[in-house]
Amino acid sequence: MKIFIKFDFTNLSSRFIDDKLKELGIKYRMLNFGEIEFLEDVPEAKLQAFYRILEDYGIEKIENQKVILVQKMKDTIIDMVLNAKEPINVKSSVYLSEKLGHSYGYLSNLFSEVTYTSVENFIILQRIEYAKSLMINTELSLTEIAFKLQYSSVAHLSTQFKNNTGITPTTFQRIITKRRELNTNKS
Amino acid sequence: MREDYTRVVLADDDEDDRSFFMEAFEELKIQTKVGVYKDGVDLMNALNQLDSILPDILFLDLNMPKKSGLECLKEIKSNDRFKDIAIAIYSTSASEEDIEDTFVNGANIYIKKPNNFNILKKILSDVVTMNWQYHTNGLNKDNFLLRL
Amino acid sequence: MNFKSIYNSERFLKIIFGLSLFIVLVMGGLAYQYIKKLSKTFEEVQLTYQINIELEKLASLLKDAESSKRAYIISKDSTYLEPFLLSDEALSNSLTRLKSLTANSHEHQKDVNELEVKIDQSIDIFEKTLQLAITNKIESPEFIAGFNEGRRTMNSLRFKIIQMTTHENNMLGIRQEKSSQSLSNAPMIVYYVLIISLVVLLLIYIQISKNLKSLKQKNELLETFKESTTQSEIISKLGNWMWHVENSNFEFSDNLYRLLGEEPQSFEPDFDTFMSFVHTDDRNKLTEQVEKMIEHEDLPFIHYRIVQKSGSIKHFKSYGKVLFDSEGNRKLLGTTADITDEIENYRLIEERNLELERNNKELASFNYVASHDLQEPLRKIQTFISRLEDKEQEHLSNNGKLYIQRIKSSSARMRSLIDDLLQFSRTNKSEEAFEDSNINILLETAKHDLAEIISDKRARISSDKLPSMKVIPFQIKQLFLNLMSNSLKYSRENIAPVITITYSQTKVSDLPKVKYSKYTLYHTITIIDNGIGFDQDYAEKIFILFNRLHNKNEYSGTGIGLSICKKIVENHNGYITAEGNVDQGSTFIFYLPIT
Repeated sequence: MKIFIKFDFTNLSSRFIDDKLKELGIKYRMLNFGEIEFLEDVPEAKLQAFYRILEDYGIEKIENQKVILVQKMKDTIIDMVLNAKEPINVKSSVYLSEKLGHSYGYLSNLFSEVTYTSVENFIILQRIEYAKSLMINTELSLTEIAFKLQYSSVAHLSTQFKNNTGITPTTFQRIITKRRELNTNKS
Repeated sequence: MREDYTRVVLADDDEDDRSFFMEAFEELKIQTKVGVYKDGVDLMNALNQLDSILPDILFLDLNMPKKSGLECLKEIKSNDRFKDIAIAIYSTSASEEDIEDTFVNGANIYIKKPNNFNILKKILSDVVTMNWQYHTNGLNKDNFLLRL
Repeated sequence: MNFKSIYNSERFLKIIFGLSLFIVLVMGGLAYQYIKKLSKTFEEVQLTYQINIELEKLASLLKDAESSKRAYIISKDSTYLEPFLLSDEALSNSLTRLKSLTANSHEHQKDVNELEVKIDQSIDIFEKTLQLAITNKIESPEFIAGFNEGRRTMNSLRFKIIQMTTHENNMLGIRQEKSSQSLSNAPMIVYYVLIISLVVLLLIYIQISKNLKSLKQKNELLETFKESTTQSEIISKLGNWMWHVENSNFEFSDNLYRLLGEEPQSFEPDFDTFMSFVHTDDRNKLTEQVEKMIEHEDLPFIHYRIVQKSGSIKHFKSYGKVLFDSEGNRKLLGTTADITDEIENYRLIEERNLELERNNKELASFNYVASHDLQEPLRKIQTFISRLEDKEQEHLSNNGKLYIQRIKSSSARMRSLIDDLLQFSRTNKSEEAFEDSNINILLETAKHDLAEIISDKRARISSDKLPSMKVIPFQIKQLFLNLMSNSLKYSRENIAPVITITYSQTKVSDLPKVKYSKYTLYHTITIIDNGIGFDQDYAEKIFILFNRLHNKNEYSGTGIGLSICKKIVENHNGYITAEGNVDQGSTFIFYLPIT
């Protein structure tokens, strides 16, 4: 038997970290996603134990300041995509620099340096991925998804989707549906 | 901690295509380790060795003797050990049927072999970048579909 | 119910008949009454006459007796006494007759009795006086008193008789008048009865003859219908049969015998005989279905085979329905059709379809493999050329570089030929590929594919908003792509291409060259450009595979693009037309049915 689940990495990771820190008896506060503030002095041994646990689960402590900033940029962008209230491309640069307190030029260069991709591409990728998950996990029509994601039209969404993935949104939906049918039949 | 290079593997019965593939990665400024197999049987034998280091991206030619790309794909998808490998179909054909069929069977990327070496380089670079994006940003790999 | 139908109905006829019977009976009764009354009057008149006669007889007898007594007294000759002696008996006889004649009338009886008393009195006086006369005491006062007494009695008697006669005569007058009245009425009544009876008879006759006429017409119609049924049975290989279920009697139409390969009515039809014709494999099934048919009184078609005596097998299809006749008996009315030809034709068509399908598949796979396998070496040639250009450029002489360019363009052309051929062979129709599509998106996608050449040529493309249609999406995208790329390719030098895409709807009657279509309305999409156009004479030719209007060095077309367009439109049950004006532009119009 096979079932399909939809999981929320953010929630999952927060719960995991919460569990582990409580196990170790460390008092903390989660600031943003991926930013933890310890509320008291933590003995070195406990800290090392915590890092080892994280490592075991493939979670990495970010040491580099640049990487931390890029991670913050990513979080900001993802938040912006998920909760889009206005057309994204127009304001994204302004929003990023206001939120993170650096010039957009600096942020943009830093982002490319660390991730080998541009901020613009990253935004597009995130929007497309969000559109994909909405297509698969909700009953929303393409028009509704385009509206929710602040695209000017379905055609605009379709074109960007096609540019990014090489296939049209309808083809994507069809393939995923067929894939699920195939997997269901197998099991 | 994971290494900073990407492991790519190609299974193709055409010698010229294998060499184009390797040359392209050589010329690209991406950190990669490239492996090639001359057909599907060789590839599957190598993968099925328990201590084998699995590639990040596996390129499969569709039309191969003994074991076709589609057969390899189905075999790989039925084995849980290979679930993290991104599968790229690498074929001369660009028939809608082939594309849809391989996607439905679990392929992530479909590449029509280009007729220009520079385009090939661009395509392979795009594939590695996109895969990297999916990997580093924790995106849902089930939704990873790319046609080039 | 309207009047006419009432008038024509059997019930009306019955009512008329009953009514007339009643009238005739009443009239007859009345006539009988009259005649009876008449004969009674007649009898009464006769009785009066007889009474009068009898009374006169009586009076004359009394007169005779009186006169004979007088004659005897005068002559004393006893011979004169003879009538007197006889008269006694005659008188009593006459009285008796009178009594019997008047037996029915009380008034008469009284008169007669009075008369009798008076007669007896007078006879007594008579005899008394006669005795006195015989003893010659005529002069005696006794005699004289008796004589006077006798004369007085006689007078009163006579008066009584006259009174009675007068009364009878009065009665006679009245009766005669009555009788003559009855006599004059009787023929009148008889005549009326006769007339009325005749009228009624006439009415009935008219009605019956009218009914007979319509019955005859209907019979003729029935006869014609029967004949035409017989003919159509023969033409359409049908046979009719009737099965009286209760007594298991069968009736077969002539043609049913023919369908069984027998002479019409050549054997007595019954269930077993019929079953003996049925193919042994189908007998059980048929028996079962017939039973079901009788049970459910109505059943869909049943199929079975029969074997004629000549050995040829025929396919039959039967349908039957249970009917009830006026006595409530069940009968199964059925029709049987020989569908052997249909089945043979169907098989033939199916075979041909399979063959066609096989051929098509072979052709498609040949086409596909040819173009697909041709691609492989070509791709490598092109890739090696690109390697050569990139890496070995500086080692080549100018001639070498030129040759490389030539090889490059030739292989590029070969590639586009193969690509287009492949595209053409893949442009097939499959019903499941049809889906409701936003045509605007398909057009946008096509434009997107052409983005490079559009911006290179600074082309302007405008389009109406297009409605959704049920189409094969990638084919319609290809259609837009090919048509637009055609317009861009054949643009005039130094003039920026302008492509206008408009939408309208066209009635089937306004479609050029369409004779028959099951659709009434068509989406009409028009693509107008300002390119080099073409001679209208070639408007048909441009859609034919590999047909090009231009030298291949001038323009890079393969001559397949528009053939693909035509194929796509035809896959969608549509039509495509082209209009050209040399150096002014071309217009392509395609029509897709609105489903």
